[in-house]
Amino acid sequence: MKRLCSAGIALAFSLVAASGAFAQLSGSFTFGGSTTVAPFVYAAIEQFQKDNTGVKISYEGTGSGAGLTSLAAGQYSLAGSSAELSADQLKTLVPTTVALDGLTPVVNKSVKLSNISKANLAAIFTGKITNWKELGGADSKIVVVNRDESSGTYKAFWEIVCQKDYGKAIAYTKDAIVAKENGEVAAKVASTPGSIGYVGMAFAEEVIKAGGRSLMVDGVKDTIANVVAKKWPISRSLYLVTKGAPVAGSVEKAFIDFILSAKGQAIVKSTDFIPLPKN
Amino acid sequence: MKLRKSLEKGAEGLLLFCALLSTLAVLFITIFLFHRGLPLFRKVPIAEFLFSTDWSPTAASPKYGILSFILGSFYVTALALAFAVPVGLAVGVYLAELAEKKASRAIRSAVEILAGIPSVVYGLFGIAIISAVTRTLFGGTGYSLLSASIVLAIMTLPTIINVTEVSLRAVPHELKEGSLALGATHWQTIYKVLVPTARSGIIAGVVLGMGRAIGETMAVLMVGGNAPIPPSGLTGKVRTLTMNIITDMSYAKDDHLTSLFATGIVLFVFILTLNLVVQLALKRTISSVEGGQGA
Repeated sequence: MKRLCSAGIALAFSLVAASGAFAQLSGSFTFGGSTTVAPFVYAAIEQFQKDNTGVKISYEGTGSGAGLTSLAAGQYSLAGSSAELSADQLKTLVPTTVALDGLTPVVNKSVKLSNISKANLAAIFTGKITNWKELGGADSKIVVVNRDESSGTYKAFWEIVCQKDYGKAIAYTKDAIVAKENGEVAAKVASTPGSIGYVGMAFAEEVIKAGGRSLMVDGVKDTIANVVAKKWPISRSLYLVTKGAPVAGSVEKAFIDFILSAKGQAIVKSTDFIPLPKN
Repeated sequence: MKLRKSLEKGAEGLLLFCALLSTLAVLFITIFLFHRGLPLFRKVPIAEFLFSTDWSPTAASPKYGILSFILGSFYVTALALAFAVPVGLAVGVYLAELAEKKASRAIRSAVEILAGIPSVVYGLFGIAIISAVTRTLFGGTGYSLLSASIVLAIMTLPTIINVTEVSLRAVPHELKEGSLALGATHWQTIYKVLVPTARSGIIAGVVLGMGRAIGETMAVLMVGGNAPIPPSGLTGKVRTLTMNIITDMSYAKDDHLTSLFATGIVLFVFILTLNLVVQLALKRTISSVEGGQGA
């Protein structure tokens, strides 16, 4: 909520109203998908509707997997995804990169550790390391907090962190608390001693506010600058996806163009995500 | 005269229609559930579905074993009842027999409020208080079988209390007066006469509570931990049948989706069996009570 407010304020000051730019667009639209992209998509929709008074858009945060399924089935005309599309999905669906995001490993305040290697991170989430003692911490059991299987973050974390050592097939430890949203991971890590989880970079703040901390990975800190410079080891692209290439003159195309515009990228930035590098 | 008759006929027809509607709803839900769920057993043997604990629906070679969740539902419900039945019985007896008017009114409205609280609020309470308390007292993560059972126990209390109280009040006055007249104390009358006579009603209350416990989803989802493995103990993480359906429902497709409907079938059969067993038990106790009276 706070993010949305600050996005609104930032917009009020920095953006020139562009009413009439897409005056020909009208109608109601339902988009949906990744909960990760929801914060900036909500803020972008708010501004987009102000610019196009005839358009009503709602976005349902159902998870990347659910969003892409609904898109393929025709329930959505546009889906947000934080997961890479499978080869099968790419046959019919067309993703457009609209923002970057980093994933941040977060731990409860009881865990006295500030840096972890990517290999150890993978070992924890596959259940090969189960005690903080093995990483030089206190002798306490590691409580793994994982996402549910529909989550794009769940797949992204496996692809980026675990795939290299443990193969393509997802094989996280099953002895893990399963949380359905970034916010739930943050809440459970913040409240459970000895716990570790991973969240979209923007959500790490929630854990830190509650007394937990984010971990450096291979000595790199999770900053926006590091993601843009491609130094942060756990980063990914966020997509808006359409069935077939976006059609010129459609609301979907106009919305994607809006997010890719300077105005849209300012919204991405104000909601703590990472704008695409300019070039 | 004619008008009145046709009006009456119309009203009768309307009532019949409503009665049929609810029956049809049950029928359609049953057919739908089995129609969508049964095809799974063409690909996965029933025995594997019911007796394997390997649930990896999105793996390259998917495995659909729901034993962990059957056990989860079973443990959580049993434990919740173990907490709730003694307390609920005690409160019901107190309200029906012992409490003064003012006290019983206050307690009853508290119980009614308890019954009206949405389950998601119970879940929040569970996360904030119960999981923290069980973590401190018993160790583990706090997201556990124990936490889920405690939350469920609180949720089933109102049902058990209400039904216990009502069935105690329904016991004929002559029985109580007769017992007292024979020199039994109030306490002896309660546990030798009133509770045994009201037994069938009380059991019905417990069954209603059990139904609520098995079917509850949101609150247990928030405190159970939701790991797809059998609970390792009281402080182990638990996923019940309902939690499994809701966790995967939003994105499942193909066989995975079918397996969730099949999970629904198992839940359905569970509750059906439970109801039947209890109805049989009730019939037996009622007839034995009546037989006893006749002798």
